[in-house]
Amino acid sequence: MTDGSHGVGGVTFDASRRRWPNEVNIFAALILIILIFEALGALLMNQSFLFDSRGRFDTIFNEQRLRIIILQVSIIGIIALGVTQVIILGGIDLSSGSVVGATAMITMSFAQVATVNGHPNPKAVFGPELMDLPAIVPVIVGLACGLFAGLVNGLLIAYTRIPPFIATLGMLVSARGVAKWWTKGQPVSFPTEGYAWIGSGMMPVIWFVLLAVLFHLILRYTVYGKHTYAIGSNEEAARMSGIAVDRHKVLVYAIAAMLAAFAAIVLSSKNLTAQSGMGVVYELYAIAMAVIGGVSLAGGRGSIVGTVLGALIFGVIQSGFTFLRLDAFYQEMVMGAIIVGAVVLDQWRQKRAALRS
Amino acid sequence: MKKTLIIAGFAAMLSSSAMAETIGVTMARFDDNFLTVLRNGIQEMADGMDGVDVQIEDAQDDVARQLDQINNFIASGVDAIIVNAVDTSATEAMTAAAAAAGVPLVYVNREPINVDNLPDNQAFVASNEIESGTLAAFEACKLLRAAGLAGGARGYMLMGQLSNQAAVQRSKDVHDIIGIDMCKFITLIDEQTANWSRDEAQDLMTNWLSAGEHFDVVFANNDEMAIGAIQAMKAAGIDMKDVIVTGVDATQDALLAMQAGDLDVTVFQDAHGQGAGALNAALALANGKEVDQKVYIPFILVTPDNLDQFLSKN
Repeated sequence: MTDGSHGVGGVTFDASRRRWPNEVNIFAALILIILIFEALGALLMNQSFLFDSRGRFDTIFNEQRLRIIILQVSIIGIIALGVTQVIILGGIDLSSGSVVGATAMITMSFAQVATVNGHPNPKAVFGPELMDLPAIVPVIVGLACGLFAGLVNGLLIAYTRIPPFIATLGMLVSARGVAKWWTKGQPVSFPTEGYAWIGSGMMPVIWFVLLAVLFHLILRYTVYGKHTYAIGSNEEAARMSGIAVDRHKVLVYAIAAMLAAFAAIVLSSKNLTAQSGMGVVYELYAIAMAVIGGVSLAGGRGSIVGTVLGALIFGVIQSGFTFLRLDAFYQEMVMGAIIVGAVVLDQWRQKRAALRS
Repeated sequence: MKKTLIIAGFAAMLSSSAMAETIGVTMARFDDNFLTVLRNGIQEMADGMDGVDVQIEDAQDDVARQLDQINNFIASGVDAIIVNAVDTSATEAMTAAAAAAGVPLVYVNREPINVDNLPDNQAFVASNEIESGTLAAFEACKLLRAAGLAGGARGYMLMGQLSNQAAVQRSKDVHDIIGIDMCKFITLIDEQTANWSRDEAQDLMTNWLSAGEHFDVVFANNDEMAIGAIQAMKAAGIDMKDVIVTGVDATQDALLAMQAGDLDVTVFQDAHGQGAGALNAALALANGKEVDQKVYIPFILVTPDNLDQFLSKN
């Protein structure tokens, strides 16, 4: 992905030419979509989408809807934070959904209680000596799973020079295999209270926001961030200027997979269960969130703020569909059209910006 | 000398496996909760028998892969094949391939489209899907009447994957039940798919809750979605005594939710029994015996009254 036209200082990287940051456009799109749902709500449902039109809350907003809009995208959003960094680096990570599946299964096995309603846990994976452990144990196990998957991805990409698409595709297949093999397809359920707290209530949102702020700061203000953008913009130039490109790649893929692993911890905790099918196609939704948020698949361009806005657009659309009681069959069709539409729009905007300069 | 030993070893292995009955099994997917119980039913029964070997493959929800697996089974000379079809409308080719090779074939759990004209050495073992949705919905109707809501009750329905026959049938069963005179008082506010998934059901239910409509019943096509809906309602502070929730499958998670007073109705589908039934039919056909071409394993309604019987089953 070292396309010459995306070189540092090249036409698409010349921020001074742009009148306002790209994120403003995405935010405008978010507002536009909300307005569309408001209008349709007033027209078809005689109800407001985001405002409290029935006097159920003390505030002017429909709090419950605001909460679910963010809650339902928080977990994939956490994955998208890592995917964003990988794409800015000029790579791609197809393995996150499967890493979620494998990590959820393994992690939950270390988070089980010994007895449920007075019965021995019917889904026990290990013996009683590995049950009722403090929540920190499964969390460390989970993050270690992510680290391992990320190191394999990163080392393959950096040192065997196979395309990231292939390396992470391999991980997509293998990690799903691990998820199924771990308990031979059986779900793992009934975690300890401590573990259940991690994903309870609005905790997924809190994790998402904390991690988003953290990685926004890291990408914006640290050497790690500068190197990531530099490699994504022009890998050869980055290498020439003395950046340890290979080592940096391993680091970025490791961080991305650890974020996917953390998403798995939150997901299994929220659902109080781990199943080997968990996380299927999450990688594609995470990539879609980043792309809708203005992260360029060519590398070198995009931001955490954009991805968070992309995630919110997803959440608004999903809640909007249910709000309008849109037939289930149409929902997926419209969703697909929106994803492609966002990228087409982005391409067109980029071309125009390039022409202007 | 070494070489001869190895060859002798191989020969011994070959001859011992030739003595055994080998059954090839292709499952639609390995990561499905219910199908795993069914698969274990086949495996455990085979383990308990002398001279029966099963080789189980995962079709990973891919029709083409499943047909390849069947052809591979035929090529490696299995005595019979058990198929849990990925796509129930793609079974003609599977039937034809097995029939041409003279290998007996048993469909399990999912009803093949050509079920009414299977060749003599093929059979179908499953539960009749019409029972499951109907049993659950009718029980909910009775519970709502008993709660004094016969004047009018409103509900939501969570549907499974829309491409799946069981989801379509179970949803239709609910519509049929709320169409009969006794249960006409129930109206559905909305019905949406949550793809059999607990997580998606949680989000969908929370979205519904944000509309603030009053409702009395939630029908779910399976237990996982019923549990997801329950988790969302509890998070929103709804007392589960005020809402009737129905599922299907009687999974362990669901039975414990029922024990806790959250889930009201589920339906036991005997996965283990279906697996064992399929293996029995396959072995009988392999030995040239006659079997019923349609074997139905009944569904059983599960409520708090009889849930103890099922706690160790699925």
